[in-house]
Amino acid sequence: MRSTRLPLLVGVGLIWAFLILFLVYPLCRIFYDAVTDGAGRFTLANFEDFFTDQFYLRSLWNSLILGVVTVITSSALGIAVAFLLVRFDFWGRNLFSYLTIIPIISPPLVGVLGFTFILGRAGTVNILLLDWFDMVRPVNFLYGVHGVVLVETLHLFPMITLNVVDALGKIDPSLEEAAESVGARGWRKFWTVTLPLTTPGYIAGALLVFIWTFSDFATPLVLGVQDLLAPQAYLNIVQFVDKRIFRMGIVISALMVLLAVFFLLAARHYVGLKDYSSLSYSKIARRRLSASRQAVTVAFFSLVLLFAFIPYIGVTLASVGKGWSLTPLPVAYTIQYYERVIVETPKYILNSFLYSGIAVGICIAVGVPIAWLLGRSTVPGRGALDALNTLILAIPGTAIGIAYIRAFHFDLPGFDRGLTSFWIIMPLVLAVRRLPYTVRGSYASLQLVHPSMEEAAASVGASGMRCFRDITLPMIWKGVLVGSLFSFMTSLQEASAVLFLALGGWESITNGIFAFYIAGSANEAAALGVILILVAAISTILINRIAGTRMGGVFG
Amino acid sequence: MTRIIARALMVVALAVAGWVGPATAQAPIESELALITPVSKFIHDAALKAFAEYAKEKWNVTVKVSAIPAGTPLAYGRITEWKGKPDVDIFWGGESALFEKLAEQKLLQKVEISKEAWDSIPAAIGKPKPIPLKDKDGYWVGTALEPYGLVYHPKRIQRLGIPEPKEWEDLLQPKLKGEVAQCAPTRSSSSNATYEVILSMHGEEKGWDWLRRLAGNTGLFTARSRDVPTVVAKGEFAAGFAVPSYMAFEEKLAGFDIKFVAPKNAFVTPEPMAILAGARNPKAARAFIEFLLTERGQKVFMERGLFPITPRYKVQGAPGSTAELAVQFTGGVRSYFDQEVSNVYDEGIAAKRSDALKTKFRSDIEAKWDELKKK
Repeated sequence: MRSTRLPLLVGVGLIWAFLILFLVYPLCRIFYDAVTDGAGRFTLANFEDFFTDQFYLRSLWNSLILGVVTVITSSALGIAVAFLLVRFDFWGRNLFSYLTIIPIISPPLVGVLGFTFILGRAGTVNILLLDWFDMVRPVNFLYGVHGVVLVETLHLFPMITLNVVDALGKIDPSLEEAAESVGARGWRKFWTVTLPLTTPGYIAGALLVFIWTFSDFATPLVLGVQDLLAPQAYLNIVQFVDKRIFRMGIVISALMVLLAVFFLLAARHYVGLKDYSSLSYSKIARRRLSASRQAVTVAFFSLVLLFAFIPYIGVTLASVGKGWSLTPLPVAYTIQYYERVIVETPKYILNSFLYSGIAVGICIAVGVPIAWLLGRSTVPGRGALDALNTLILAIPGTAIGIAYIRAFHFDLPGFDRGLTSFWIIMPLVLAVRRLPYTVRGSYASLQLVHPSMEEAAASVGASGMRCFRDITLPMIWKGVLVGSLFSFMTSLQEASAVLFLALGGWESITNGIFAFYIAGSANEAAALGVILILVAAISTILINRIAGTRMGGVFG
Repeated sequence: MTRIIARALMVVALAVAGWVGPATAQAPIESELALITPVSKFIHDAALKAFAEYAKEKWNVTVKVSAIPAGTPLAYGRITEWKGKPDVDIFWGGESALFEKLAEQKLLQKVEISKEAWDSIPAAIGKPKPIPLKDKDGYWVGTALEPYGLVYHPKRIQRLGIPEPKEWEDLLQPKLKGEVAQCAPTRSSSSNATYEVILSMHGEEKGWDWLRRLAGNTGLFTARSRDVPTVVAKGEFAAGFAVPSYMAFEEKLAGFDIKFVAPKNAFVTPEPMAILAGARNPKAARAFIEFLLTERGQKVFMERGLFPITPRYKVQGAPGSTAELAVQFTGGVRSYFDQEVSNVYDEGIAAKRSDALKTKFRSDIEAKWDELKKK
């Protein structure tokens, strides 16, 4: 073992160097900006400005409320769906179980645009209502906070479902049998035994829903809601003219990171206390529902999915509809928008695949060793490594993007330009942001490999490397692949972090979606969106095939 | 894919080599040109493409053109952040006041185009306040003229049972409650300039009253000015405030039913263009400006709902051409030099109260929008 000591230390050093340089340092940089004035002197005036400004305070309060309300609504939906899927057998269960994941892959911006095409003031539903009932004014389904809650809930409830399904799958049936033997049945069993056992998984999902909603700026902006923290951070930073307001944008970003860390710690504390789920998946006996109950269940799923698929229907129609206005469906159809984004400007698609490919390479190079360190080694600092890795999930993408601009603009030694002038910064930021999925995927599968197998190999003389290659790798590659695919898919969809970093010629698909959208070409944005959705759907099928139902571990 | 990788490797290789400076010092222009601009893709893509063709014909140079689309404030901010080492060569569009501010910070270089091209542009247009069309110190030059007007969806207006809007006042009628879309002046130069026009027309106090009433009728504050014609064209909202003519025309060309009006005193912008100090491709930048001022360059604009910056040309084309469609769309205007341009926007005052306007917007309109809507 002694011979592996030095490479191990070097490896650990490299991993830490990577994390410190590309995660810790940039984040410190925004905190530095938040607590200094223009001349670099320490000051708390920025925070004072924030906490004495009624508008910002209202934004903070609204953001918290929005997050909580969305968690409640998506939990109600997500838990119901999870429970039905895991515990009962009904017609089309497998299909529904797959379709339920799909809403989550809706790319940023395009999702909400899809909603406006169907549920907007001039959307399909309103046009039909106006025609049928001869109304003068459309119903306002979307513009306002209620619209944000609707869009986020239908987008994010699968996050809860996945985590709860995962947790339900790990419940030892004997616990529920025990409950039944002392007379707790039905709802009582559910409230007192089943639900508490799924809490850790549920909390992880709820936290992600909360932070996602809390840090999403595109949805509220499209729906005209500006008194929320994320849109304020975005708008303040996007306007560079007024230095004071720009700094407020940084302060808000820093505050969002702080809040995210706080909620993360709170959630971990809670989950840590109640972590009594077992590690192994147990076989679940599903109850066959009676015909009438099956009908109700199928109707429920169809309705939920119909709503959740609204954005996809809207985006697909918009990507082929020409001059679609005030008619329930487009009247003229064309493929010109696809031609434009695929043939005329293929750079978005090429760049996206290039960056996401490199990002996944980095994720594997850094993430698999991290998973190994967490699961197998006794190297000190594993707690910190785990915490950092989870922290990434909690940090709003905009904050990372801003942090990178602030942190890497200085001239690199030997160059007259900073790292921000080189396109490699795009895959770098993607890799850092999507690292946790690779780590978790690899870690989860490492846990299923008993160390005794590696020990056995070592005992017959296999070196550390050899042991890893011949024993560990063949058993964990599935987990690594699932994690990497997930990192890849989410890299393709990343928008907020790369929005500020892209220079001319570097644009990814999501940059393209924003560029077309803000250039007024919602159709081209929709066409790119459809492409992204297809790629993500294929990735999801692959993940599903490889991983079965165990995806929750990757999310949580 | 392989080309991208090859290009990527080349970039890395160049970077590793320490970027020894442009190798083609003898060429008439550099082989790259990059812009940062609030002028929308519809226009800047066409202008860059036309220039690339022109450069190929004239000097046999293949120019790699690119643009960073960015709202005026964002573009301005990035230029100041670059601190004289810009990632692009040209800043195009927005308020001329910002160009003056950049020149003061020594972030621009003089455009130094040919005397003939420079002289083809009149110094100013408009009465009683003149709108400068080029910088007296030579740091920026206008490229095309375009009014910031209002847009509406005729079918939605008809359904609401009101006459088609013609003047700014028409946006305040009660039946348009919740039906107006506008962009905040904090994020858009067209909105900022039009707020300024309203303040100049009515005076500060009454002007803000007017704008508060407009906010009361507003159903959506968009993230960018370009979104305003989009949501009106789709029919999401019946009318839009402070929209550049070409943005509305782009929706028209895309097949939407949208109408545009430039009411009295609508601000006419010269879409200023400047070369950044420290630009890596100054010769290409200069050639680009000179090209835009030729008839061929101006045609790019004239076919897309913008107007020539010089009296030499008029928007004209075969019947049914996009140029004629544009004339029809903008109310029969062929050149702003044919007619009296009524303007109340004072650049000096606008520059002086630009920060105050934004602060007041934040406190009196953005923060109180919910109350204003209830009135």
